[in-house]
Amino acid sequence: MPLLINQRIVTDDPWQLLDQAALGEGSSVPENGPVAVPLTWYQQHWEALQQRNSPLGVIVNGDDDLTALYADHSQLDLVAIEFPTFRDGRGFSIARQLVRSGFNQQIRALGHVTRDRLALMQSSGFNAFDISDEGFHTDHLQAFSEISVNYQGTTADPRPAFSQRT
Amino acid sequence: MYQYNQIDQTLVDERVEQFRDQTRRFLTGELPEDEFSALRLMNGLYIQRQAPMLRVAVPYGLLSSMQVRKLADIARTYDRGYGHFTTRTNIQFNWPELASVPDILAELAQVQMHAIQTSGNCIRNTTTDPYAGVAANELEDPRPYCEIIRQWSTLHPEFAYLPRKFKIAVTGATEDRAASQVHDIGLQLVQDAEGETGFEVLVGGGLGRTPIIGKSIRKFLPKQHLLSYLDAILRVYNLKGRRDNKYKARIKILVEALGPDEFRRLVEEEWAHIRDGELTLTDAEIARARSFFTLPDYDASAASAKVQASLSASLESDIEFNAWYRHNTVAHRVYGYRIAIVSLKPYLEAPGDITDVQMDAVADLADRYSFGEIRATHHQNLVLTDVREGDLYAVWQALAANNLARANIGTLTDMIVCPGFDFCSLANARTLNISDQINQHFDDMDHLYDLGEIRLNMSGCINACAHHHVADIGILGVDKKGEDWYQISLGGSSKEDARLGKILGRSVPASDVALTVEKILTVYVDQRREDESFAQVVQRVGIKPFKERVYATAH
Repeated sequence: MPLLINQRIVTDDPWQLLDQAALGEGSSVPENGPVAVPLTWYQQHWEALQQRNSPLGVIVNGDDDLTALYADHSQLDLVAIEFPTFRDGRGFSIARQLVRSGFNQQIRALGHVTRDRLALMQSSGFNAFDISDEGFHTDHLQAFSEISVNYQGTTADPRPAFSQRT
Repeated sequence: MYQYNQIDQTLVDERVEQFRDQTRRFLTGELPEDEFSALRLMNGLYIQRQAPMLRVAVPYGLLSSMQVRKLADIARTYDRGYGHFTTRTNIQFNWPELASVPDILAELAQVQMHAIQTSGNCIRNTTTDPYAGVAANELEDPRPYCEIIRQWSTLHPEFAYLPRKFKIAVTGATEDRAASQVHDIGLQLVQDAEGETGFEVLVGGGLGRTPIIGKSIRKFLPKQHLLSYLDAILRVYNLKGRRDNKYKARIKILVEALGPDEFRRLVEEEWAHIRDGELTLTDAEIARARSFFTLPDYDASAASAKVQASLSASLESDIEFNAWYRHNTVAHRVYGYRIAIVSLKPYLEAPGDITDVQMDAVADLADRYSFGEIRATHHQNLVLTDVREGDLYAVWQALAANNLARANIGTLTDMIVCPGFDFCSLANARTLNISDQINQHFDDMDHLYDLGEIRLNMSGCINACAHHHVADIGILGVDKKGEDWYQISLGGSSKEDARLGKILGRSVPASDVALTVEKILTVYVDQRREDESFAQVVQRVGIKPFKERVYATAH
């Protein structure tokens, strides 16, 4: 799975992302190293996870209740947001709300992460992109700069075009 | 009108190259069909029954003569010499080659045009009153706000993959000519007690399978909060709208499911986070947007006694010009001027269609007589908004020479009609043959004038592109065992008194549509008191007498 961070391919991803299926099969959370687990699992096993002395992350999607996450993410170094299908755009708004809530660590896009949506994801607040092997080409790196202007403002510069003019 | 700056031009130019690359990747098999489908739709490109169809955006219906000439040129070069204006005031080309679409988009970009977001599950072209800026009883020109919304909604990174399409209309006059109550968001310019301008915000209107009139969720939104409030509505919809069933994915279904009060609460809660933030419109930005829509340099002598005398003489001597003047021109705010409507409803031609030659003719007329601007209307006609009364005769003659002067505006044959089964892959039934049938049946103009103002809208399927639910007479094509049948409804309106029509009864076969319309109109003529309109009679007597006449068993 190629991972893009800061528009570069990262080969040494320290994170282990454990989905519900992996955890359900009883594979325990490794003692060391950064891990991310589904938000509900994190909330159920919070105390045990705090005992580990490694970075923690959560995996969320549009069906999760994110109120508690937005209220407190001080223990988290990564939030991975799932795009379950190509047409599901909830992840864009989740990233936007997460940034607004003050989260400034890694926000990683998971699932249907495709070339033609990378720039939109980045503008909405994502800074890491997990792309499937078969869906990846090196020219994906060009996708971030195809449209060099935007009207709306981005996470990097939240001012919309009209307020940049003045 | 609005003029592109460096940002606007860069955006459309780069969008063309982006789409060129997407098309290339699709044609080489690099980009899967389902992904290309979503991407091409966001650039207005459908794959239709006969060929691809490209829908070009006409933001809030406003075109320059130069743009219309470019559209004519595209129709000639890349299509079969014509285009089709839609109810969202866009123009569709029915026969482009997929591989040449990037070139068409590059041509459009040369004249500050594009096809961005004319389709797909994103924010579509914002529409408004075709008489904006010249209408009587207008609180304020809505176009500057439409332009502000256009910019905010164009390639919005967060709202490109909404549950379903999203349509916004803005209206500023007492008469609602923008159908604002049947839009996902309808914005009506209003003033508060202090005389400040703002918007009443309606949400969740729409037609299609589940026709619903929009609900007001805010009586007064100060204008500087326009974008932050829209942002809040869209975010709530993007997060909470249904994605499991495309027929239940529009915002109207969410508003109905939650109830308008709960929906309002969610929007206000989201808005509390962002109001007074970066999206707050500054006075400078509103003034900048307004500066593009200033009054043209009206001719002070346009209303002189000499001009008036000459107009009166033409009206007396030429009965056809007289009819055109009465039906196809509208009072202007400035004395000595009139609004002239270019009828795209000629006899036995597809409603809304226009040839390359006609487009060039309209562009020439706009340059010569109407400050070089043209409006497209929700009713699928064009408008020259600022014609001196003294020039009307010449304008009429030129329009008549190009088959654009049929004096039928507002009458039964000024129909809104979707392309139907002949072109559209969603359609269940043909519409263009029925529009011909009605035109042939009601070919006596004096009879049409006697019937007065009647809005007839006809859709070829339940998606209701022609807004049949909100017409005086709505016709919906349905497929019954492979045959086209037509369901008729009466008493709808898309104006300030918006309401949904009531279905008359069982559908009628294709051969009987015009005959059925005639029976309906006979009831109207029998029932009307003095100068009551068709709509007023239907409201007063209900649909029962119409039903009885249409379904009476033959004796």
